[in-house]
Amino acid sequence: MIEVHALAKKYGSFTAVRELTFSARPGEVLGLVGPNGAGKTTTLRCLAGIIPMTAGTVRVDGHDLAADPVAAKRALAFFPDEPRLFDYLTVRQHLNFVARIYGVAGYEALAMPLLEELELADKADVLPGELSRGMKQKLVIACGLLHSPRVMFFDEPLTGLDPLGIRRMKDSIVRRAQGGAAIVLSSHLLHLLEEVCTHVLILKKGEKVADGTLADVAAQFSNGEPNVSLEEVFIRATGGTET
Amino acid sequence: MAGALLYYRLTSLGNLVAYRLRRLRQPKYLLGTVVAVAYFYYFVFRRVGLAWAASPGGLRTAPAGDSALFFVAAACAGLSILALLRIGFAWAFPPDTPGFRFSEAEIGFLFPAPIPRRTLIHYRLLSNQAAILFTSVLIALVFTRGGYLASHRVYRAVGWWVILSLFDLHLNGTRMTVARLRERSAHYVLWRVVAVAAIVLYATAVFWSAFAVAGTAAELGDFSPHALDGVATALLASPVFPWLTLPFRIAFGPYAATSAGGFFRALGPAALLLGLHYYWVLNTEAQFEEGSIAMAEKRAAAKAAASRGERPKLGAGRPKPLSGPFPLAPVGPPEIAFLWKNLLSMRSVLFSRRALVIVLAFLTWMGFTLRPLLAGHASAADSQAIGVMVLLSSGIIAVYTLLLGPQLARQDLRGDLANADLLKTYPIAGWRLALGELLAPTLLLSLVLWFTIAAAVSAFDPAGRFEAVTPGVRAVIAACLALAAPLVCLIQLIVPNTIMVLFPGWYQTARSRTAGVEMFGQRIIFGLAQFLFALVVLLPVAGWAAVVAVCSYPLVGVAGAAVTGTGMALFILGAEAAVGLWWLGARFGHFDLSGEVR
Repeated sequence: MIEVHALAKKYGSFTAVRELTFSARPGEVLGLVGPNGAGKTTTLRCLAGIIPMTAGTVRVDGHDLAADPVAAKRALAFFPDEPRLFDYLTVRQHLNFVARIYGVAGYEALAMPLLEELELADKADVLPGELSRGMKQKLVIACGLLHSPRVMFFDEPLTGLDPLGIRRMKDSIVRRAQGGAAIVLSSHLLHLLEEVCTHVLILKKGEKVADGTLADVAAQFSNGEPNVSLEEVFIRATGGTET
Repeated sequence: MAGALLYYRLTSLGNLVAYRLRRLRQPKYLLGTVVAVAYFYYFVFRRVGLAWAASPGGLRTAPAGDSALFFVAAACAGLSILALLRIGFAWAFPPDTPGFRFSEAEIGFLFPAPIPRRTLIHYRLLSNQAAILFTSVLIALVFTRGGYLASHRVYRAVGWWVILSLFDLHLNGTRMTVARLRERSAHYVLWRVVAVAAIVLYATAVFWSAFAVAGTAAELGDFSPHALDGVATALLASPVFPWLTLPFRIAFGPYAATSAGGFFRALGPAALLLGLHYYWVLNTEAQFEEGSIAMAEKRAAAKAAASRGERPKLGAGRPKPLSGPFPLAPVGPPEIAFLWKNLLSMRSVLFSRRALVIVLAFLTWMGFTLRPLLAGHASAADSQAIGVMVLLSSGIIAVYTLLLGPQLARQDLRGDLANADLLKTYPIAGWRLALGELLAPTLLLSLVLWFTIAAAVSAFDPAGRFEAVTPGVRAVIAACLALAAPLVCLIQLIVPNTIMVLFPGWYQTARSRTAGVEMFGQRIIFGLAQFLFALVVLLPVAGWAAVVAVCSYPLVGVAGAAVTGTGMALFILGAEAAVGLWWLGARFGHFDLSGEVR
């Protein structure tokens, strides 16, 4: 469960995110959309505890992120758009390291099935330098899933993946949500949101423009028209030229 | 074609200067420039000016003093040995794909352009000349105080240009020859073995031919300037040595000339040698394109990585997977996971070729220094002299370890700057993360300090003149110092990590390997900060420890005083380290690289 109340983030005098309030319950996949510079990545980084928020509260799995960051972080996983890995640790050593950080006893039993699911089993003993970008992305995902997080944040999760990888990633997100995880994902790919998200939150210039189920948000911007696509909803909600 | 290439070089130079001047509007560059200019003024140009004013005509240095010939010969011999080592290294460890140093833009524009291959090599070799000329003039200006040469500064500048150009050409020629052998010879490895063996044989022959003459003088024990000059004269008059060292003597001829006549006479053979080298490089048909592309890509990647906050890749090739330094259990203190990870990344640096060469050189020097002791025929005077030497060396190494070590051992938060976002998602308190990250470099620096402590304590007072310093007391003092060493190292490592967290923009700029006087100034500022912090932190520790030790000495004796003093030092150091870690961890939690690095 993620509960965000009046989240704000400022860089000097520039306000990147203001008065953002929303929540995502277990089993929900919340899609964060908005034009470039809307504050999506900043929001995700605040939610994951990477950067401190300027104001507001964030509760992750019941733990206040500001008051008890260690407990909150134990429940979450963040998947950045650019895979960041340790140069001198092999795939297997990455999992070993992450297992120690999160205290995952008997991680070996979880690691191999994860690597097999992500088609990395035959790369277990190679360094990140020898992996393609897509494989690095998969390794980041394997590391993130190792401690069975109940809250997940994905920033552009499909970047760098091949078509099969994209399909598996979408399936994986849906499966984790069905397993009880609360998921927030940020993406420009509206078809991804339509396929995997149960809810959507549209941001513009750091402010919430719309929030709710896909049907609710579509209804809000459809002006009574039937079968309005999410793309059309997005353009209307963010004040695109086609409105 | 030449016009286009010249246009490119000159326009680039002009734009570079304009860019550097424009960025002085940023305080970090302006302050760096001010510090660097002050440094150069005080340590270089002021002295040059004084020497200039003191010498008639402004160009001639002081007349040669006694033993000038010997010291010039010794300097040339030292440089020759370095050059031989570098050439030997080029034969022994050639890159997989050798090439010339082109930028990615040069490769993109020049390689597909209708430019003959030889023109590209000409262009590259001549491009190197800008840096060589600048270096030559700088060295000739800076080294004004030796007084060993009566030569004109212009002669010395030209001399340095000849030496550096020859070295550059020889190294390029060697690389191209090795590449050609790799492409076309079935006995590639054998050729390299033969070349390295030839270099070793040559060096041995030169050494023995010199030793045959100089060894006699050394046995007489006369090291007066007159005697040393006599040794040099005897060497040059001996039958073998002058012939063996002919190429080097030609290379160093213009530099060592002490008169106009001598200079111009030396210039002829040197120019011929340069011409031969140029011909060699130009006419060695070997593929350099792939190697040049690989080099350019690597440099561009390192530059981009540095600007993103990542660690520049070390070594020539890709890192290889290594097993962990110890088995890492999945449950336990998370700090150990960071120690494990950073030791793993450290191993690929510590077991690199560069590290191997440094260790071999150090062991060779140690073996040479301790020869009498190892051979078992050290006199009391020998033991005393070796003891002093070991003590001094240990002290110097310890000081360098404490002041420079933290700048070099970067397998901590600084090495993980690119992964800062990832680290901050980990469920670990800030201070524990900071401690975990600092453990590996702390261990490394502590090992060096422990080695110096052991060496210094062993070498202290070999004649046993200080009766109070019994073997037991020595052991206690060594143990006390060894206990304090890790905390001191930890505190010293907190400093650069704190600088990184507080001033990421400055830190990024300073480590970007970008050239420029302002970069030099920024590095001086960081070095000074490290030094001042060490003083501020360690002086109170030393002071209180000394007070406690002195007060307790009458009651508990030397060993007891060492223990009580160390107890006090450990208490203060521990408190300082705890505060430092807590603060660093808290700052790291609020650290946002994306918001600060520009």
